[in-house]
Amino acid sequence: MSMGEVELSCLAYAKMYLHASQFPRCSVNGLLLSSSAAGGAVCITDCVPLLHTHLSLAPITQLALTQVDVWCSQTQQRIVGYYQANACASDSSPTPCALKIAEKIFEQCNNAVLLMIDGEKMFPGCRVPPIVMYERKDARWALKDKHTIMLRQWEETCSIVNQLFSSGDQALLVDFDSHLDDITKDWTNQKLNAKIMELVSPANGNV
Amino acid sequence: ILSIPELFLLYRFTNYMRDKLRKWREENYRNSEQIVDVGEELINEHASKLGDDIWIIYEQVMIAALDCSRDDLAWSCLQELKRQFPDSHRVKRLAGMRLEALERYEDANKLYDSILQDDPTNTAARKRKISILRAQGKSSEAIRELNEYLEQFVGDQEAWHELSELYINEHDYAKAAFCLEELMMTNPHNHLYCEQYAEVKYTQGGLENLELARKYFAQALKLNNRNMRALFGLYMSASHIAASPKVSAKVKKDNVKYAAWATSQISRAYQMAGRGKKENKCSVKAVEEMLESMQITMS
Repeated sequence: MSMGEVELSCLAYAKMYLHASQFPRCSVNGLLLSSSAAGGAVCITDCVPLLHTHLSLAPITQLALTQVDVWCSQTQQRIVGYYQANACASDSSPTPCALKIAEKIFEQCNNAVLLMIDGEKMFPGCRVPPIVMYERKDARWALKDKHTIMLRQWEETCSIVNQLFSSGDQALLVDFDSHLDDITKDWTNQKLNAKIMELVSPANGNV
Repeated sequence: ILSIPELFLLYRFTNYMRDKLRKWREENYRNSEQIVDVGEELINEHASKLGDDIWIIYEQVMIAALDCSRDDLAWSCLQELKRQFPDSHRVKRLAGMRLEALERYEDANKLYDSILQDDPTNTAARKRKISILRAQGKSSEAIRELNEYLEQFVGDQEAWHELSELYINEHDYAKAAFCLEELMMTNPHNHLYCEQYAEVKYTQGGLENLELARKYFAQALKLNNRNMRALFGLYMSASHIAASPKVSAKVKKDNVKYAAWATSQISRAYQMAGRGKKENKCSVKAVEEMLESMQITMS
């Protein structure tokens, strides 16, 4: 992979999708993480679902960013991006809040990405990934060329998401908001991660 | 033909499900998939045992069905209700909601307008029209209509809260704060309103707002000492105030104390949460380290 390319793992994609599906009437957001070294292409290997309420209010967002930061340093991961799905499915443009948080991430990571989930493409059988990606170019966030976004094993990823829904495991997803409602719930989603990795066939390597 | 014990079990099941539906109705839960699951079975298999409850159950199930894109179920519930209550505004409103779910907003609006022509005080129809504006992304119009509505119906809590949400989405924090102040006045024991108000004040920023935020986070905690958002909020606002170069030594000292108290409460809460649960050790560790690192930056 070369500079400017972004790879999105099955794990990250599945959890984002599940997050947006869990709260269909709310705007949701989260952070994109990478366990690869900095420089060159961006490999998004995981994500942390954050909020489904009051995305634009500061305290909980700040809290979540700090906690995820700490967790990342404990687990050798980096925050490399931000995702958001708007409540209004027909509008997938970045909100001021999305731009603000993405900006903050960009301060620490110069190839950070901003990912908007396109609600209109989240129907069963849709052939196209429901995502729109932005990157920092000339002091603003510009649409990323679709050809530089890699989703390896797209068919398999879709199938894994479907399996999670049919087994009921999509309900395992915990976001930071839900964690604050019940702090015994794990926002790092270890249990769900394990289930997803079980479904990912080992032969496919870098998913 | 069922035997006596089988009949008995059947009645127990029906009553149990009916009670569940009632609970969800009374507490305004929006667990639509569950409601559809339970409700559909009750309606299809046990309608005769529900008595007069059946009509309110049809309504509840219909709304839940719309939420789950089950137009087939919504339609059949609606037909039953139309048959039983042919001229009802309440049923008309349900028909409107179905049109909304199908995104036929113009048709829905026509229906609501006809209700309002008949009965200009029908708040339900007015609120549905505002919901349509919201669904269409017309936030400023929704805000304007909601403000007009509240001038007439100043006691409508749901409307005040909806308005506060709209203002928060539009980043108009001063107006959101105003709505939450109304809600706190009429609901002084509601810890959620205090905590949301504090979050808005914190977001507005500046020393004065931070102090207000801290006070209202503390108030929320007094009302519910398990509100984690309020606890973290108290910690963060007190820490920021203590770290500000503009405060007196006394204010700094007081806020360091508040922050330290909050830290100990947070640690305790997480320790208790972490007990015996292997799977959330990560989040517990993250909080502990976060609290440690923030203490270092404060001193």
